[in-house]
Amino acid sequence: MGKLVISTRLRLVASFLAVTLLVGGLSLLVGTQLIYRAVLREAQARISLDLNAAREIYDDRERSTLLALNVAAGDQSLRGASDLLSAGRLSTRLAEVAEAGTLDFVGLVSADGRRLAATGAGSGVPANPIALLALRQRAAVAGTVVMSREELAAEDASIAARALIPLVPTAHAAPRPDTPETAGLAIAAAVPLLAADGSLRVLYGGVLLSRNDAIVDLIRDTVFRQETYNGQLIGTATIFFGDLRIATNVRTPSGERAIGTRVSEEVKQKVLDEGQPWSSRAFVVNEWYVTAYEPLDDIQGARVGILYVGVREAKYTDIRTSALLVFVVITLVGIAAAIGLGIFLGQLIMRPVSQLIAASHRVSDGDLTPEIGPVSRSEIGILQKTFADMLGALRERNERQLADRERELLQSEKQASVGRLAAGIAHEINNPLTGVLTFTHMLLRRTDLDASAREDLTTIVQSTERVRAIVKGLLDFSRQTQLDPQQTDVNRLIADTITLAANQALMKGVRFCFNPAEGLPCRTLDRNQMQSVFLNMFLNAIDATDNGGHIDVSTSLTLSPEEPGRRNIEIVIADTGCGIPASLLDKIFDPFFTTKEVGKGTGLGLSVSLGIVERHGGTIHVASRPGQGTTFLVRLPLDGVKRP
Amino acid sequence: MNVLVVDDDPVVAASCRKVLEPEGIRVRCAMSAGEALVAVREGAFDLMLVDVKMPEKDGFIFLREARASVPLAPVVVMSGFSTQETVAMSAEAGACLFLPKPFTPDELMHAVRRATGASKGG
Repeated sequence: MGKLVISTRLRLVASFLAVTLLVGGLSLLVGTQLIYRAVLREAQARISLDLNAAREIYDDRERSTLLALNVAAGDQSLRGASDLLSAGRLSTRLAEVAEAGTLDFVGLVSADGRRLAATGAGSGVPANPIALLALRQRAAVAGTVVMSREELAAEDASIAARALIPLVPTAHAAPRPDTPETAGLAIAAAVPLLAADGSLRVLYGGVLLSRNDAIVDLIRDTVFRQETYNGQLIGTATIFFGDLRIATNVRTPSGERAIGTRVSEEVKQKVLDEGQPWSSRAFVVNEWYVTAYEPLDDIQGARVGILYVGVREAKYTDIRTSALLVFVVITLVGIAAAIGLGIFLGQLIMRPVSQLIAASHRVSDGDLTPEIGPVSRSEIGILQKTFADMLGALRERNERQLADRERELLQSEKQASVGRLAAGIAHEINNPLTGVLTFTHMLLRRTDLDASAREDLTTIVQSTERVRAIVKGLLDFSRQTQLDPQQTDVNRLIADTITLAANQALMKGVRFCFNPAEGLPCRTLDRNQMQSVFLNMFLNAIDATDNGGHIDVSTSLTLSPEEPGRRNIEIVIADTGCGIPASLLDKIFDPFFTTKEVGKGTGLGLSVSLGIVERHGGTIHVASRPGQGTTFLVRLPLDGVKRP
Repeated sequence: MNVLVVDDDPVVAASCRKVLEPEGIRVRCAMSAGEALVAVREGAFDLMLVDVKMPEKDGFIFLREARASVPLAPVVVMSGFSTQETVAMSAEAGACLFLPKPFTPDELMHAVRRATGASKGG
């Protein structure tokens, strides 16, 4: 029983668990991945926009450089005759221009490229490439230029020194000889102007991008607005010269700007070699970033570097991690709920069932009043109710059977004890009775007796005859065990028996009416015993009926009310006599019960009759109304005789 | 006529003697089966009245044993236990009549006459 309950409960819990795990696990995997991808895509889209903004800032720096030079070019002091030029004054003026435009170098060259003045202390040879370009084109130019170490040094030794960047070994970078970068990348502009003497001059200036924190920090601060994650600025911007970081706010693990490190080979190939923008995850220095790269072209259209913006991926992976965590928590809660719900539902469903099982065990052990528990409102309730009804029916049948058995037992015990007694008595009494009868009769034969003695002797004889009748009755009662069955026509038997009782009826003034059923089949029965049954009933009826009354006897063939398909022969004996009080109806089949006065009956009649009829498989029913009469119904099954 | 009465109860034996002797019938009484066997071998009887229930050997055993040694006269079985079975067993044991106890002198004489008459007739 316990096993069944547990396994059903387990099965319930297991199914709930399976569903939860399936749903939870799937949403865990799919959901986390979906969220992560969506977030990443969003981040990617944003970083691409950010790169546009960075490019705008970069281009703006070109424009502002050009603007500063344009403004300065209107100054008459730059147009004076070259020989009249006061080198000191001009230098001061150029320094002002440099400061106003936050330029690293500003210079003025003549049409042949000869330096007239400059902010730096360099030799001026070789001439600045942007200035030469403006001279060649005779127009204002602005853009990115690559300046060799010599060109940088021609401006100022400090600039050349700034541009010197030693290589830092970088994972994932393309192989490159380990020689320091000496060239520099600059945003520069040059504006031609006409001197007072009509000769051409070029005012040029620029910003060296190498180790220039201002631009990349401006980009970062503008684009990412100081956004931080875990206490660190999340956004980064970098300007590459070739694949080399020359200006960046990406930090090395030690916290320094990662100048001298290089872009990963993958990005270099795509952006620098193929000229394509890159927008994806990328390994930057020592960490994964969500990045966007695009090539930087110099003023002549050659790819010379890369512009980069990126945010640390940690923020997004952390989102994934926390989403994962949330899903895990939800799944765990779901599992706990599933187990709880499974156990609860299992108990809810199984409690009435296990109670029913326990109840049926108790029923099989003989207890017909087991506890079924409260009736559930589900289908199990119907089962419970049916079970309870069944128990009720069982109890009722049991009680009825018990009562029947007790009554039968009592009856048969009575009969058995009376039988044994009767047999003993009959045997022992009959011998002395023989003596009494013989000697009394012999005395009566004498002729010398006076009338009084003869009368007394006659009384003795009569009394002895009574004793003989009583003993015979006892014996009849005791020996009612075996039947001598033979094919008998019941109608005929009854008619014969009525004839036997006819004399008595005539004397009492009682009329017999016999109404035999037609076509009543013959039945095997003990003719003698059954005759004594009917005779006894007829004599009882005659005794109970007064002068002028009648006794109706009828036979009929009926269908068995208990066993469908079986037929009974019914014999009804109804008198119009004094009837039997209801209080005595139960007792009339008891041995020795009689209502007759002393000497008129032994009381064994009906008890014996019932025994005989029952041995024939039949029943006797009696109904009576005091003052109106009594009806006996003898019912004999047509088929089969119950053997003792 | 010689009649052998076999009954362990002296009252019954006395009763038979009382009824039969006035009719000129010689009555010999045996109180047990053993006694009766002796009597049967000693003299010829015209009729035997035999009780069923007796100590040691009952009437039926006696009849079987007696029949084995000598041809027997007609037998009337008397018994106070007058059930159908007893009647049937009497017939089986070769009795020509069953006389239920108690009986009146008339009933006894009737039985004796019927038994001897039947035997004569048969």
